[in-house]
Amino acid sequence: MSFLTPLFLLGLAALAIPVLVHLTQRERKSVIAFPSLMFLKKIPYESVQKRRIRDWLLLALRLAALALIVSAFARPFLRGSDVAAAAGGARDIVVLLDRSYSMGYGDSWSRAQRVAGEALASATAADRISLVLFADHAEVALRSTPDRSRAVSEINAASPGPGSTKYGPALKLAGSLLAESMLPRKEVIVVSDFQRGGWQPDDTLRLPGGTVITTAVVEGASGPNLALTPATLLRTRDAGQPERVTVTAGVLNRTATAATAIPVQLEMDGRIVQTLSVNVEGGASATATFAPVSIAATTTRATVRLGTDAAAGVAVQTGMAPAASAIDALARDNVFNFVITPTAPVPVTVVTQGNRADANLYLSRALEIGEAPRFDTSWQSIDALTGDATNRTRLLILNDVAVPEAAAARLVTFVEGGGGLLIALGPRASWPSAREGWLPAVVGPAVDRTRGAAAKLSGMDYGHAVFEPFRAARSGDFSTARFYSYRGLTPATGATVLARFDTGEPALVEKTAGLGRIVMFASTIDLSWNDLALKPVFLPFVHQLGRHLSGFREQAAFLTIGEVLDITAAEIAAGATSSAARTGGGRTVLTPSGQRRDLSVTTAASGATSPTAALELGEQGFYEVRGAGREPGPVIVAAANVNLAESNLDRMDPKELVAGVTGNGTSGSTGTQDVLPDAAQELAQRVWWYLLFAGILLLIAETVLAQRLSRAAR
Amino acid sequence: MAAHQPIPGARFVDPAVLARIGNLEMVAKTVVDGLINGTHRSPFFGASVDFAEHRGYVAGDDIRRMDWRVFARTDKYYIKEFEADSNANFSVLLDISKSMSFGERISKLDYAKTLAACLTYLANQQRDRVGLVTFDDGVVEHVPPSAKHLDVILHTLDRARAEKPGHLLAPLQRLAEHFGRRGIIVVISDFYADPDEIFEAVGPLRFRGNDVILFHVLDPQEIDFSFSEPSSFEDLESGDQIPIVPAALADQYRALVAAHIEALTTRSSQQRIDYMLLNTSQPLDFALFRFLSMRERLARTR
Repeated sequence: MSFLTPLFLLGLAALAIPVLVHLTQRERKSVIAFPSLMFLKKIPYESVQKRRIRDWLLLALRLAALALIVSAFARPFLRGSDVAAAAGGARDIVVLLDRSYSMGYGDSWSRAQRVAGEALASATAADRISLVLFADHAEVALRSTPDRSRAVSEINAASPGPGSTKYGPALKLAGSLLAESMLPRKEVIVVSDFQRGGWQPDDTLRLPGGTVITTAVVEGASGPNLALTPATLLRTRDAGQPERVTVTAGVLNRTATAATAIPVQLEMDGRIVQTLSVNVEGGASATATFAPVSIAATTTRATVRLGTDAAAGVAVQTGMAPAASAIDALARDNVFNFVITPTAPVPVTVVTQGNRADANLYLSRALEIGEAPRFDTSWQSIDALTGDATNRTRLLILNDVAVPEAAAARLVTFVEGGGGLLIALGPRASWPSAREGWLPAVVGPAVDRTRGAAAKLSGMDYGHAVFEPFRAARSGDFSTARFYSYRGLTPATGATVLARFDTGEPALVEKTAGLGRIVMFASTIDLSWNDLALKPVFLPFVHQLGRHLSGFREQAAFLTIGEVLDITAAEIAAGATSSAARTGGGRTVLTPSGQRRDLSVTTAASGATSPTAALELGEQGFYEVRGAGREPGPVIVAAANVNLAESNLDRMDPKELVAGVTGNGTSGSTGTQDVLPDAAQELAQRVWWYLLFAGILLLIAETVLAQRLSRAAR
Repeated sequence: MAAHQPIPGARFVDPAVLARIGNLEMVAKTVVDGLINGTHRSPFFGASVDFAEHRGYVAGDDIRRMDWRVFARTDKYYIKEFEADSNANFSVLLDISKSMSFGERISKLDYAKTLAACLTYLANQQRDRVGLVTFDDGVVEHVPPSAKHLDVILHTLDRARAEKPGHLLAPLQRLAEHFGRRGIIVVISDFYADPDEIFEAVGPLRFRGNDVILFHVLDPQEIDFSFSEPSSFEDLESGDQIPIVPAALADQYRALVAAHIEALTTRSSQQRIDYMLLNTSQPLDFALFRFLSMRERLARTR
């Protein structure tokens, strides 16, 4: 028995006070000489001892109640080692059953089910059984039941999933389950193929003291084990030709035996496009490059598959590996899914004023260059800036433009709806004074640096997305640009200064407004006030500004199970306007297994203004996300693949895992070492609650007894 | 001081006490035969100044005691009878058992010694023969009654020490055989015995015609039991100890003591024995005065 707050036990000393007083009294008890005890002896009862004995019951009740209450405050608990010290007794058994996709190798799963069932054969009616199925995550399939047949049926009903093996979460879950247990013996049975890749030693991973760990190694059939590595996509665009993509697939041979004439087929939207044949040496890899194919206007679902597909119809639609294509005993890593999406340009509108279109020459040239993303630049006069025009774009650039009140109102609406706004300040730039508070900074008069040394940019915030690519050495030198004039800026509350001039004055200020962002540049983005446009950093700088302000994020062609799909970013990348992507209503998700579920938009952490929609991928295949409401937006298709590491069936020695958990060698028991913190054990056992309850009951009993004795005495 | 105490033990004779009780008569309950005329009434009719009664003349009567005046009025012969005053044997039986040494302000033994000295001195002044017996579980010292034994008695009282356990029955039964001549016997004790045993002891004294007076001397703590702290109480005579919570049993103790006193009072009255409870916290002269007043009143009503 241990105590979490043993200092409270000092309160027990108070219990000794009555006894000490009594003993002290006895020590200095005076002897009174009395003529005769004739009368005193005639009185029945009446000695000190007798009186004490009569009160012992009440005294004992009170002392016991106080002792229990004090003990409750001391938060007692049984260490796992204490419990384990008791020989025999009921067991609390936690079965950790590995359901990663590698368990589907050959007949591994049926063996695992049989081994797990046999491990429970020795369980008695007094034992409690919990079943935890684990892969990337661990989940309790059955919690602390004495019904062994129910546990066996749960094991038989389970099936391997697409996840990869991770022992840590499963062992932590087992630890928390056992920490709540009050049974004297604890046991963890790990049924797995013990892949080395699933084990990461973790010092914080401990089971309750006294827990016995039993490992059951499931060995599948031997044979070839091939796996597909992530495909690479090479996009090419020839003038006047549609965009084409070249798919290169990698084949990995996990065994020492060479594999020859392995068919590798490429499927697009359910049709077999090409089939290649590769030879792979043992323990080596090979690649298969398919002929370029044209990219359709919509998202294409593509799959690279090992082996010929006899049941392509359904299998390809779901992306699942058909059973018929048994190139080896592990089917899930023989399929690789990805999506081919046409490159969607980011619509950018450069707002001009009057006949100064030539002033944006460098800007327009910079926006025309580049593929990721490709900017689709349009021109719009500030006076003709309408709501329709802003709805069609994701980024507005104002280079030295005087903004009238009406246009300012539309700009505010556009940005707060999720758009991006870049304002470059020149001699003509102005903003309605009534709306100055909305801007990232208050614009001051022009600063003339034509005489003497020109101003330079310095003090960039390289942690910001705009300047992050320039962080490394020789990744862009802004200091070579000369600024002969600029407008003084006084940053507003909540604005962030991204760059400053060498005088310390703000050069680039950003602020978030509503769902969108505004960046103010203190000088022009042409040659009128500076020569930045002539410097090599100009092009990437403009692109970074465009990517950041438009909210563009490159979307991966494939994801791995367990990763999260950012639906909002995917919609923007697919060409949706910012406002449509961020303010759209709910979405419907169609999973690879054909299940349909609604996805609500969740608001990000407090302070953030942009709601995001995210989806955790848990199945192998293609997910389809459709928007709902008046502006459904584009259909997002995401490909989910199994973790390639799981296809590596190299095993570890189970003793290594046991030693990592027990910390005391290769023994299967955690011995006397307490592997969970005392607080956790105490919290799980909650002995204090029972002690407090018992103490209160004793006090009630004492009150009742005292009343009865008092009545009897009267 | 020694000049004022010419004889040992005289310190027990408190002059203030004597001044208070000197104008009272020591009246015997019953007439004791004696040879010396005194203030005590003789149980025999005889020469005395106190007229007792007339009775008819019978042959043999001394004609000098004929009341001629009555004969003149009634023409019948009547004899005048007078109550004869005599000196008496006045013996004090003093209990000097160990229990008598108890006392908070003054021990019961000292109180009893004072009382015995006072009574002895008073009796001696009235020409009575005074004697003293001290006893515990047996007779310790015996001073036979004599008109000249006052000094011896006072010396004996001075020497008396409470040292041994006491027992009433054995010494008093032995003494009863010794008191052949009727007289006044004063028993001073704390009477820690069963009433039956007490009166079995003093009964023979009374049956032999003695006028027995029991002085029950108790300390206030023996009566009130005013102890407060739980303590072990040790029997002075047997040495037994028992732990006691006084507050818990004081009432019962007081009731038992009261019952004991009541039993002694009742039994004394039944056997025509005078009984008086003396609290050592009360002045001795007050106790003597009260006792002698009672004796005189009883004598007059007889």
